[in-house]
Amino acid sequence: MAQARTTTRGDGAREARIGSGARIRGKIHGEGDLLVEGQVEGDVAIRGELTIAEGASVVGEAVEAQGVTIAGALEGDVAATGQVRLAAGARVRGNLRGSAVSIEDGARFSGRLDCEFDLPPELGGSSRGETRGRPAARR
Amino acid sequence: MASTVIGAGITVEGEITTDEDIVVAGTVRGKLSAKEAVTIEHGATVEADVVGSSLTVAGALTGNVTANERVDLQSGSRVVGNVKASRVTIADGALFKGNVDMDV
Amino acid sequence: MAANGTIIGRTTRVRGRVTGEVDLEVQGFVEGEISVGGDVTVDTHGLVGANVRGRRLVVRGAVKGDLVGEEAIALEEGARVVGDVRAPRVAIAPGALVRGYVETGDGAAGSARATRAAPAARPVVAPKAAPAAAPKPVAAAVSAKPATMAAAARPAASSLNDGGAAANSTNANASHGANHAGGRRPPPPVVPALKKAKGQIAKKKER
Repeated sequence: MAQARTTTRGDGAREARIGSGARIRGKIHGEGDLLVEGQVEGDVAIRGELTIAEGASVVGEAVEAQGVTIAGALEGDVAATGQVRLAAGARVRGNLRGSAVSIEDGARFSGRLDCEFDLPPELGGSSRGETRGRPAARR
Repeated sequence: MASTVIGAGITVEGEITTDEDIVVAGTVRGKLSAKEAVTIEHGATVEADVVGSSLTVAGALTGNVTANERVDLQSGSRVVGNVKASRVTIADGALFKGNVDMDV
Repeated sequence: MAANGTIIGRTTRVRGRVTGEVDLEVQGFVEGEISVGGDVTVDTHGLVGANVRGRRLVVRGAVKGDLVGEEAIALEEGARVVGDVRAPRVAIAPGALVRGYVETGDGAAGSARATRAAPAARPVVAPKAAPAAAPKPVAAAVSAKPATMAAAARPAASSLNDGGAAANSTNANASHGANHAGGRRPPPPVVPALKKAKGQIAKKKER
C-alpha cells in the first residue's frame, strides 16, 4: 500500500518522499528533506525542509523541521527553525512557530502564530510576556 | 489635502492631537488640538474644545475655541461656546452663541 | 485615498473610539477602539493600540489589539501585530510578524458577527448552537476531502470555535466510521515506509 522511497542525492543530502498513494501511521524522523504527497498520521521531526504537497495531509501532534511549506492539509503544531509558508490551498489547524510565517490569501488556517519581535515603544515595546500561555520560541 | 481628515461618516469619541492641520467632515466628541489649521466643514459635528493655530467653521461646533491666529465662522456655521483668538470673523448667516475674547 | 475618506495623519494621535461606515487610513497613532463598516488601512508608520474591526483590513504598521475583518485581512511586509486575527480570508506576507491566534474561514466571520453583537464576548468561548447546526461552506469543503483530516480528534480541535466544531463533526460522520468512532483508539497496523520510522512504530503498537 505504501509507496515511499528514500533517495540519495549526489551531494549527500537525503530527500525522502512519501508518494501520493502512500499512507503512513507512525513517527517520521530524519536528517534530510521530506516531501509528503500522501497521507501521514503521526509526528514528523526532520532536520531539513518539510513540504506537504497539494492533496497530501499530515495529522500529528508535533511537526518539527527547518522550514515547512504546506500546500495540502496539516493538523498539528509546527516548530520550524526557518520559515513556515502556507500556500493558497493549504488547510492548517495548529500552532505555528518559525523564524517567519507567511500565509497566502486563500489558505485556511486556525491556530496561534508566535513570532519573536518587539512592538514600538508607543505600543508598550516588547510584549512577549503577553503571549497567552505559550512559552517563548526556543532559540 | 490636510494631513488628517475625519471624513463624513466617521465618529471619533475621545481626544485628537496633531502637529499638523486637520479637517473634520464627520463627528468629533471630546477634545481636538492641532498645531496648525483646524477646519470644520459643512455637515460636520464637533462637540469638543478646539485648539489650533487657526479655525474655520462651516459646520456645527459646540465647545470652547482657542486659536493663536484667527477664527472664521462662515455662513451656515453654528457655534455654541467661547472663542478666544486675536482675530475673529463671524460671517453673515453664521449662528453664534458665546463670548468672544480677542486678547489685545 | 478618496477625497472624502478619513486619514489619521502621521503626527496625529487619537485616544478614544473611532467609528463609522466608511474607510479609514491610519498613518499616526490611535489608542482605544476602531470599528468601521469600511476598509481600514494601517500604514507603515501607523501605530494602533486598539481592537480593529472593518470590512477589509490592511496592515503595514504596528497593531496591539485584535483584528477582525468582515471580508479579509492582509498583513503586509513590515506589519507587526500582537493580537488575534480573524477574517474569512487572511493573508500574511513574508516580512509580516504576528503573535496571536489566527483564524480564517466562514467560522471566523461567524464569530466576527457574534463579536459585533456582543463586543465583550471572546469569539472562541462563545458556543452557539445555531451556527454549528447551519452547514457552512467550510464544513462541506473539508468533509469532501479524504478522511485523514477527520482523524483530527486532537484536543486542540475541540477548543476551536463553532465553524471548526461544525467542520469536525461533519467530518467524523463522513469518515470511515469504525476508525474514528472511538476517538483515540490505537492505530491499525502500520506499513513502515521509512526505515527511520520503524522503531517508533513498534513502540506505538506496544501501547
